Amino acid sequence: QGPLGSAPVTSLLSLAVTSEQIEHLHRRFKQLSQDQLTIRKENFDSIPDLEFNPIRGKIVHAFFDKRNLRQESDGLADEINFEDFLTIMSYFRPIEMNMDEEQLDRFRKEKLKFLFHMYDSDHDGKITLQEYRNVVEELLSGNPHLEKESARSIADGAMMEAASICVGQMGPDQVYEGITFEDFLKMWQGIDIETKMHVRFLNVDTIAHCY
Amino acid sequence: MEVVWAVGQVGAVWVAVVLGLIVVPSALGISLGISEVYMWVLVKTLEWATIRLQKGAKKPQPQMPLTPTANGIIERDETPMEKEIALLHRADFEFSHIFYFCRKGFEAIVEDEVTQRFSSEELLSWNLLTRTNVNFHYISLRLTVVWVIGVIVRYCFLLPLRFTLAAIGITSMIVGTTVVGQLPNGSVKNYLSEVVHLTCSRILVRALSGTIHYHNKENRPQKGGICVANHTSPIDAIILTNDGCYAMVGQVHGGLMGIIQRATVKACPHVWFERSEIKDRHLVTKRLREHVADKSKLPILIFPEGTCINNTSVMMFKKGSFEIGGTIYPVAIKYDPQFGDAFWNSSKYNIVSYLLRIMTSWAIVCNVWYLPPMVRKEDEDAVQFANRVRSAIARQGGLTELPWDGGLKRAKVKETFKEEQQKNYSKMLVRNGSVG
Repeated sequence: QGPLGSAPVTSLLSLAVTSEQIEHLHRRFKQLSQDQLTIRKENFDSIPDLEFNPIRGKIVHAFFDKRNLRQESDGLADEINFEDFLTIMSYFRPIEMNMDEEQLDRFRKEKLKFLFHMYDSDHDGKITLQEYRNVVEELLSGNPHLEKESARSIADGAMMEAASICVGQMGPDQVYEGITFEDFLKMWQGIDIETKMHVRFLNVDTIAHCY
Repeated sequence: MEVVWAVGQVGAVWVAVVLGLIVVPSALGISLGISEVYMWVLVKTLEWATIRLQKGAKKPQPQMPLTPTANGIIERDETPMEKEIALLHRADFEFSHIFYFCRKGFEAIVEDEVTQRFSSEELLSWNLLTRTNVNFHYISLRLTVVWVIGVIVRYCFLLPLRFTLAAIGITSMIVGTTVVGQLPNGSVKNYLSEVVHLTCSRILVRALSGTIHYHNKENRPQKGGICVANHTSPIDAIILTNDGCYAMVGQVHGGLMGIIQRATVKACPHVWFERSEIKDRHLVTKRLREHVADKSKLPILIFPEGTCINNTSVMMFKKGSFEIGGTIYPVAIKYDPQFGDAFWNSSKYNIVSYLLRIMTSWAIVCNVWYLPPMVRKEDEDAVQFANRVRSAIARQGGLTELPWDGGLKRAKVKETFKEEQQKNYSKMLVRNGSVG
């Protein structure tokens, strides 16, 4: 049995990674899980490179977010297996040369959806001002020179801009509830995320390494 | 009775062959060319094996033949953070920063630079050793036959030979240095001590089927200096002493190692510390400083990384060695993993199984570059100096430089380092006028 046991391989064809890359990822999975079949949040503590990433919490959270795992229910999973791991990794697959318009569009939407989930921490489908502030504060966390006020004003400013793009002029008594996914898509129109939000594997051929 | 006599005869012949073909040339410092022939045969065999593997690979090769580096399996975008965020910048602080950290986070999860350095370097092509057969599957009968022959050659012929040599080497080292140690201090003693050390080193290198290429011998460490090198395995010391004499620095061990240490220190002023003394940094620095100040003493050999790294990168150099003063002679050592992996993964293998692995590899092939001496500048502190030396070594050996501490093998990232990184990021944000 391969690393995927009896899981149907067809579901992985959508990942469009080679079997070699899957083996690499599987080895990495085993390393992180310490040879167990599932990974828990604590397993991500063993990655030094991840330690000083300010949004570390959100990234790890994203791995267990059931919306990202394409599961019917909502909330957080306690542990994920290798197939789930690959599902999350698929959000970061690079663009392929033979993609048509429709595929590209779907591709982009998926990545943006992933990002959206990261912001929308209470899973209600809207990014509120408070949620936005949380993200900004996390991004700036650990710097003693920036007070909470700065983080706030940054968040508020960005939220205003978002509102103006999406809703147009608002009346003084109108409250902008939060950024929905459609608004989110509008905000990112024109910005090339396909080439920014991916992790590309190197192709390792068996090259003759002799003299 | 006859059996015993026959075995005795075989044993005698064996020892005579070993002595004649290996030990005596070592003592005289000449080479009979046997190892060159061996290496030639080995290279030809491996070339043949690689071609078979390529033919046998049934998958059509993908369209993007990027050159893989020894640095991992994913393509890293080396754009510095400032540049990348500037590219995505849109008026105020934006979602854009999320991108950068998201991607970095994912890259770290797929493959982090640090843990990677504590496992053996992956080979591009199988070298007919079972232990490296991770990706390569059954290809053909001929290949398997060659592999089986390889196993027999390595375990039944090379291993006993190497073991014999190692035994001879270590015994002569102990006996030789004890004898020389009895002599009164003087130039005769120093000369003989050098001869003994060099000979035994050469025997031990042959015991590993080592092929070492030394470059830039004119920069070889001089007396009263400090030799600094990157660390991959306990063999590093033998590799270097094969070409010159050094005063070793280290902790006193028990067992066989301890016996060797006690014997050699009589002949040559090596610096062995007791376990309790090592903890006292000032004491260590003082003793080393005294040694270095005496220009007639051999150069000391130090490995500032403090632990074995897998020879694809150079990790943080501990600043202690660079506070002693004196001239630093950097040396870069790069092993060729195709013939045998020299890296000692101390969390996976103990020293005995490590030595067994080394002795059943094809060979240990490495390049040693002697770099021009370096001295600490007026306005540099020890850390900056250490980094400068490290860059020079990394560049010469074709290794990457990592700011990480080798101690991460066992411990977690230091808080101060984390804060440093976060500060850099926030400073950059403020600079870009993101704060209202």
